[in-house]
Amino acid sequence: MAWRRAVTALLILSGLLSLGYIGISSYIAEQLVYEAPKAIVKTPASQALRFANVTFPSREDQIMLKGWLIPGVLPDGRLTVDRVIVVVHGTRTNRESPGDHLLELTAELARHGLGVLSFDMRGMGESPPAPLSMGALEQRDVLGTVDFLHHGAPPFPELGRPRIIGGLGISMGASTLLLAASREPGIAAVVSDSAYAEVVPLLERELAKRTVAPIGCVPGVFAPAALVMARLLYGVDFFAARPVATVARIAPRPLLLIHGTADDYVPIANFHQLQAAATSSAGSQVTTWIVPNARHAQAFKKTGAEYITRVVAFFDAALGPAA
Amino acid sequence: MRRLRAAQPMLVLIALVAVLTGLTVIVREISARAGFLVERPIVLFVWLGGLLIAGIVFGWVIRRSVRGAGSTSSGLLLVATALALASPLALMLLQHPAP
Repeated sequence: MAWRRAVTALLILSGLLSLGYIGISSYIAEQLVYEAPKAIVKTPASQALRFANVTFPSREDQIMLKGWLIPGVLPDGRLTVDRVIVVVHGTRTNRESPGDHLLELTAELARHGLGVLSFDMRGMGESPPAPLSMGALEQRDVLGTVDFLHHGAPPFPELGRPRIIGGLGISMGASTLLLAASREPGIAAVVSDSAYAEVVPLLERELAKRTVAPIGCVPGVFAPAALVMARLLYGVDFFAARPVATVARIAPRPLLLIHGTADDYVPIANFHQLQAAATSSAGSQVTTWIVPNARHAQAFKKTGAEYITRVVAFFDAALGPAA
Repeated sequence: MRRLRAAQPMLVLIALVAVLTGLTVIVREISARAGFLVERPIVLFVWLGGLLIAGIVFGWVIRRSVRGAGSTSSGLLLVATALALASPLALMLLQHPAP
């Protein structure tokens, strides 16, 4: 009978298409949630700074993370950890992050009297392999730094514990820091450089430009399903990486938002969304700096001394002078 | 009885999705203890293998059901199953139409 043939063909076609679609999306999800870590080549010693290697657990899931605690250097040469800035690197890099000169930036902060805790988020640098969630899970790593600074064994016992903690994040690190700071009042001030407001639109756009072996270029139609499959297969909820939904909770703590006008990876519309959300809260203290012609996470590279002057002045005002 | 047979693919589809999702979650929980580098390929392997087996089981159920279906309502039930099967793909295509 003709209708039987038609129904069979419809069932087979829809079955094969769905099976293929889900199968390919699952493979893309598997590729999306992990990338081999990049090795750390330089340490703060290359910047003529004293530092200690530290290991501490993330909050909630206790993943042991690796980092450096770099004491700040006061004008008279004394070392201090009175104020410590937690520095959070971007995606698929590490605490050295040569692409955005993160080690040089942390060194400059230390030379201006700010202690620095720079660490590798889970799955990156020397920290253990873990799924990449673009901030949804990594915020626990930032929360772990606060626990470590408050309660962990101090690597410089003679310097005591920090009086106050601030945070500086770049790109995914900035978004992760915003998520963590909205949950943790112990982070007293935040500098967010090149943060995204929500990661899903970014991933959907980036996936369409990405090549996944052996598929090659990923058609955009697979992106939404790949994000869903990442959640189903690996528990990675990219949809939860939305600092725009929580950034208002940082108020009344001071927040400095930095973004480059030539950022084509995280378009400046993200900055405006975050600014609007952050200032929507009563008592918010939001400072902004739009860097002309700076590409993604390149504000420090582009402006150098001006970046340090602005960031240090922000932390001095927010955290008070070093003791 | 014939209507029940026509409803079989839909019921089997729901059962296969539930079993496969549950199995994947269990495998993830167990393999996570060995670290993410072990968990990552194992979960994908189990999921894709499960999809393949589910596809074969589903194909067999379809064949049986189509042979036994004799009435219009049985035919409509099978069409509804085909639509349910294609709905995830259709939803995604509707949200992301070709440029």
